[in-house]
Amino acid sequence: MSEVQQARRPKILLLATTACAYPGADYVGQIHSEYSTDTYIIRVPALAVFPPEFYLRCFQKGIDGIIAMSCGHECPYPGAYERFAERIGRAQELMKRQGLDARRLRTTAICTVCGRAFLKEVQDMVQRVAQSGGQLVGK
Amino acid sequence: MSKVNPPNEKPANGNQQPKVGVYVCRCGGNISDVVSVEKVAEAAGQMPDVVVARQNTFMCSHPGQQMIVDDIAKLGLNRVVVAACSPRLHELTFRKTLVRAGLNAYLFEHANIREQVSWVSKSDPEGATAKATRLVGAAVAKVRLSRPLDPIKVDATRQVLIIGGGVSGLRCARDLSQSGFRVVLVEQSAALGGRLTELGRLYPVQVEAREVLHSLISEVSRDAAIQVLTSAEVTAVSGSIGNFSVAVRCAQQETTIHVGAIVLATGFDTYEPLPGEYGYAEFPEVITLPQFVRLLEKQGPSDGQLQRNGRPVKNVCLVHCVGSRQIEGIHQPGPDGRLHEYCSRFCCTAALQAANEIRARFPAVNVFDVYRDIRTYGRGHESYYEQASKQGVIFFRFLAEQLPQIRRADADGSALVVQVKDTLTWGEDLEIPADLVVLVTGAVPRDLSRLIDMLKLSRSPDGFLQEVHPKLRPVETAVSGVFLAGGCQAPMDVGESCTAASAAAARVSAALLKGYVELEPFAAVADPALCTGTGACIEVCQHQRAISLVDVMADGVTLRRAQVNPALCGGCGMCVPACPHGAIQVDGWRLEQFEAMVDAIAADY
Repeated sequence: MSEVQQARRPKILLLATTACAYPGADYVGQIHSEYSTDTYIIRVPALAVFPPEFYLRCFQKGIDGIIAMSCGHECPYPGAYERFAERIGRAQELMKRQGLDARRLRTTAICTVCGRAFLKEVQDMVQRVAQSGGQLVGK
Repeated sequence: MSKVNPPNEKPANGNQQPKVGVYVCRCGGNISDVVSVEKVAEAAGQMPDVVVARQNTFMCSHPGQQMIVDDIAKLGLNRVVVAACSPRLHELTFRKTLVRAGLNAYLFEHANIREQVSWVSKSDPEGATAKATRLVGAAVAKVRLSRPLDPIKVDATRQVLIIGGGVSGLRCARDLSQSGFRVVLVEQSAALGGRLTELGRLYPVQVEAREVLHSLISEVSRDAAIQVLTSAEVTAVSGSIGNFSVAVRCAQQETTIHVGAIVLATGFDTYEPLPGEYGYAEFPEVITLPQFVRLLEKQGPSDGQLQRNGRPVKNVCLVHCVGSRQIEGIHQPGPDGRLHEYCSRFCCTAALQAANEIRARFPAVNVFDVYRDIRTYGRGHESYYEQASKQGVIFFRFLAEQLPQIRRADADGSALVVQVKDTLTWGEDLEIPADLVVLVTGAVPRDLSRLIDMLKLSRSPDGFLQEVHPKLRPVETAVSGVFLAGGCQAPMDVGESCTAASAAAARVSAALLKGYVELEPFAAVADPALCTGTGACIEVCQHQRAISLVDVMADGVTLRRAQVNPALCGGCGMCVPACPHGAIQVDGWRLEQFEAMVDAIAADY
């Protein structure tokens, strides 16, 4: 841990599905497009694994923005996408109730070759987080 | 115990205090040119439970892997993290390294610091280094909580689906049948043959394409193990390696077939020049190489005579690299907005073959060959170049920045004039008379968006389907059980397509021949100590009978507890949040592991 507190950089979590969004992120790398280093990708088989509280916990720990990158209706697990959508909706409700900006939790479908959509989502979240001026950690 | 974990495995390596080794790969500069690999390794050395942290030029190389094996033996490591390329390339490689050293394969974690860090962060090396460090931290946090797992073994269906009935699909079907597999060959058009039906003689041995095709098709149609479905298409795919269910629509009927593997032999399209590109669609005397091949056919539109618009052709001018090796700012992108930056490879030799054929059959006709570079790269190809030179084909060479221009001739004689700034004569502006201009067009990727969506395939930057690794896994896709054969992967000539098809057949055999496949052990597991038998997990589960309530005896009392059948569980984890007690988790991806990763990312190093 650094002794001197440097200017705090935002942290954006990208939860990316193994079948679609994770290879989509790899594709962006293969074409050498650049995006913010404030992004951290976690590979997840299906996003339905997360309870709504998981997302709130992330924000409490100091994550500034989350993009849940799913397979959308191309989800290889039957019913998982619908269940995930419900749980995200519930998470956003809880966020509002706690005074958190619900736009800090974004959902999007990213396919294996959706480079442009990936970059746009990341760019949008980077801007959203920057506009909030670091006043993001809700208590 | 399954094959992946040898019986002499060191015991209980999941229950000991974690001792983690971290290995950071330079990838020969691919990573280390942007990320300070030394700093990442240094920071990793300070992370909890990390015993050793090192860096290496190529972790996937033998010395790189051996470093891990040696450290496991010397330092008693029981967890390993490698920070390198995407896990889609080498996660399997390193899992096997662990097994070689006597560790369970699933006590490994892979941090992606190439595709998802160095390749996307060129202008921010400092940020990239910090990001890589946090991702390594997350991998360490996850692997500390990993437990040893055994792969799930399931029987594999010994039937294979091949999509595409061109030369690659036909070759692959025969090879698979000879290895003892049943094959379903699905072709979207009404007849087998694909692009081969449009070709004349095939280099390098001048065999007639229709003869090759005829013998292949008759072999396939006589083969009782191969079922051919023409005018058919794949409409849905589910399942995984060993057991795919594929819906095929054929003659207005939808049938479901069960296969262990899927081979894509969907081929490529030939490039169609843009209107006005080198006078195409503007002057009728400008045609493409495939059109010219048809013109040369004895049964072709002019009975094999060299004519255009009823006039005999005296001067033929070939222009190379049309629709290939395109450069931004010089070439126009196609309707899909895409430039074709790659070399299509087969067209140089095909053009020279056509040139030689003109000179041999019509000695009075002049052939002018206007090229950027000649790439007669394959076995036997160079002799076509030599022969063309000997037979009096006249060569001109242009630079990409000074493309040849084509205009109508002012005077009588040949209809067109091709203007070239010729570097072979040190930049002279030359005018070539032409009755026929042949644009040497290459290959373009097919629109396979439906199949790509259905099978979750990856495309390479040039738009063709992508293999896992060009050398280590050259015909496998990142989707286990889905293979590539031929021109869907890259521009290939007929010989190369057949080689690729045989390679795909061999890889399918390697995957299915033992009669079973090993699936990743990422299934849900219920903890009987936490479960109270609410059945909430069963209510949300979409997989029939994957979870059931069973009676278990504890302290002389019979209790109802959830139990998962790992072979039926899809591993989606939908049940995880449903349980009020957190009693059900997906092995390998437990919620506490995700939380630990988030904590590591949120932490400062």
